[in-house]
Amino acid sequence: MGQAVTFIKAINQAMHEEFERDPNLFILGEDIAEGGVFLATEGLREKFGEHRVVDSPLAEAIIVGACTGASLVGMNPIAEIQFVDFITPAMDQIVQNVAKLRYRSAGTFQPHITIRTCCGGGVGGGLFHSQDNVSWFMHEAGLKVVYPATPYDAKGLLKSCIRGKDCYLYFEHKKLYRSVKEELPDDDFTVPIGKAAVKREGKDLSIITFGYGLQVSLAAAEKMEAKHGVSCEVVDLRTLRPLDTEAILGTVRKTNRVAIVHEEKLTMGPGAEVAALIQENAFDDLDAPVMRITGPDIPKMPFSPPLEDYFMINPDKVVARLEQLAAY
Amino acid sequence: MATKSNARTATVAKKEARPPRNDKPAAASQPAAVAASASGASVELKKDQLLEMYYLLLKCRQVDERARLLFRQGKFKGNFYSAVGQEATHVGTLYGCRKTDWVGPSHRDMVAAVVKGVPTRRIIAQLYACVESPDRGKSTPAHFGDAEYNIIIPSSTIAAQWQLVTGVAFGLKMQGKDDICFAYCGDGATSTGAWHEATNFAGVHKLGCVYVVQNNLWAESVPLRLQSAAKTLADKAAGYGMPGVVVDGNDLLAVYQVAREAIRRARAGEGPTLIECKTYRWYGHSEIDPAKYRPKEEVEEWKKRDPVPRFEKVLRERGYWSDDWKKKIEAEIKAEIDDAVAFAEKSPYPDPSEATQHVYAEE
Repeated sequence: MGQAVTFIKAINQAMHEEFERDPNLFILGEDIAEGGVFLATEGLREKFGEHRVVDSPLAEAIIVGACTGASLVGMNPIAEIQFVDFITPAMDQIVQNVAKLRYRSAGTFQPHITIRTCCGGGVGGGLFHSQDNVSWFMHEAGLKVVYPATPYDAKGLLKSCIRGKDCYLYFEHKKLYRSVKEELPDDDFTVPIGKAAVKREGKDLSIITFGYGLQVSLAAAEKMEAKHGVSCEVVDLRTLRPLDTEAILGTVRKTNRVAIVHEEKLTMGPGAEVAALIQENAFDDLDAPVMRITGPDIPKMPFSPPLEDYFMINPDKVVARLEQLAAY
Repeated sequence: MATKSNARTATVAKKEARPPRNDKPAAASQPAAVAASASGASVELKKDQLLEMYYLLLKCRQVDERARLLFRQGKFKGNFYSAVGQEATHVGTLYGCRKTDWVGPSHRDMVAAVVKGVPTRRIIAQLYACVESPDRGKSTPAHFGDAEYNIIIPSSTIAAQWQLVTGVAFGLKMQGKDDICFAYCGDGATSTGAWHEATNFAGVHKLGCVYVVQNNLWAESVPLRLQSAAKTLADKAAGYGMPGVVVDGNDLLAVYQVAREAIRRARAGEGPTLIECKTYRWYGHSEIDPAKYRPKEEVEEWKKRDPVPRFEKVLRERGYWSDDWKKKIEAEIKAEIDDAVAFAEKSPYPDPSEATQHVYAEE
């Protein structure tokens, strides 16, 4: 194993290695040539040139449109949307072309794109630098939606997107960028898309989560164990579309009690789909209603610290709800 | 435009061939552009090329009119967006293009496929949403795209194809290829953010794009005066560092002339060009639109500028015309369309199981 690297460094490494591997790979986005706001693209331009590491005009729709079009002639594009809060101008391209061009053409056009975007709150970003918005994309058949929580998964999943043939939304929670570190193998590796992972074994109840929710859930699980002796299993979905149904049902059948934890808002959030899947397929295995512990149904994450805290999930909030679930 | 001769053509088109603007009834005659542009292009085009262009013009007209007829006969479902009246914009820009060049059509550009060389059977099959359609019935009748011929499928969110084909040009540039991209849209599309983002991007990267705006004065029922306050839509090119040319879009040779220079620039890596073709759709926005919003005099005036007889006049003036030849090609085209209709009518609908196919490359 190599030295421990941060989440953002893992993303940076993945791109460096894939740029080396594939001469058709390029990246287009705002402010990326200088390394980007969070240094995700640090060193790429110096190493691979500005014809492959391209600063776009301030225009999100054409970032996605140009990348998608370029993929039709065999290029392998990464489109960077600096903050997912800014992805709305690109929605037409994402929804109508990225997600549907393959379908609309009965597979005769084969678009391929990796859209990397930074999401999530809890860092004082305010209304327009804290959104999650992952639910919008989960709804679109034709997209694959990836949302890693650890440096290993971040690197392995990004490589899978870049090497894949489909169209991917790749979510990077900014709170993870420098808060988690992990030793990564020196050898090349990928993480399969569509596969969840059990990040903590447990027997009394299950927490299904992803992204920053994993850190919160692992901390909550420790507290539940220490405080109540309740053993929590933590499942990291890693991919939100397609969902790993087998892994979800597997943990339900093991513990019979499930909470879904995410920062994204409640209504029509990822938890709604996971809960529906469970009740359709594992109703008889449940000892308690499926619980959703999520961001609140308010328009966006407000800026003032106490208001932001109100929005964010944290281990104590999760524990308070898990206690109810365990006692049901 | 960069060269002297094309600058002249553009000026001629601007000064002498200006069709009526907005929803005002048209001014009367304007024969000068035909003569001027025809003489300008005559050095380049040989007799057989001119005849071939007429053939394509007529074929576009006949394929489009047949599609309208089939729709009104209830032969296919959905809707159809006729380009009758605008065919010179397709033939003039795409004549002589490579099979490997790309086209990003709008919903009104089905006949661009005719000029690109797509077999009529494939085009008519699209209307019938059958398994022989290039998209196996996934998209609507007017959304003709064909990967085999590098024709991107239009999107009903206007100018989405403008973005995609610009992206194709970006990809081709990165690969060092000199294939180029033709993008088509109407006047309404020039108001969208997608249009401006793409056009700006192409300007920045000097992409090999030939942008063709078919200004037919009406975006569905909205007149041009409520669409744009710009003097011409080609003026928008200035903001993106590319030439903008206005041309009489019903004058085939005038369109051809400005397109030649745009194509030369695009292939040479000199960047994109925006061509505004002043033209007119004879019929409604779609087949279910009676287009009562347009003054009758305006429609009649534009029908007098029908690109087909105008081009016939050019051929007559040069002594290339023969009524027998026209009858012959008319019959040939009709037979080809009849065959295509019979072919499409025999082709089955897709199996319902196909509804879930082609969602992902890797399931």
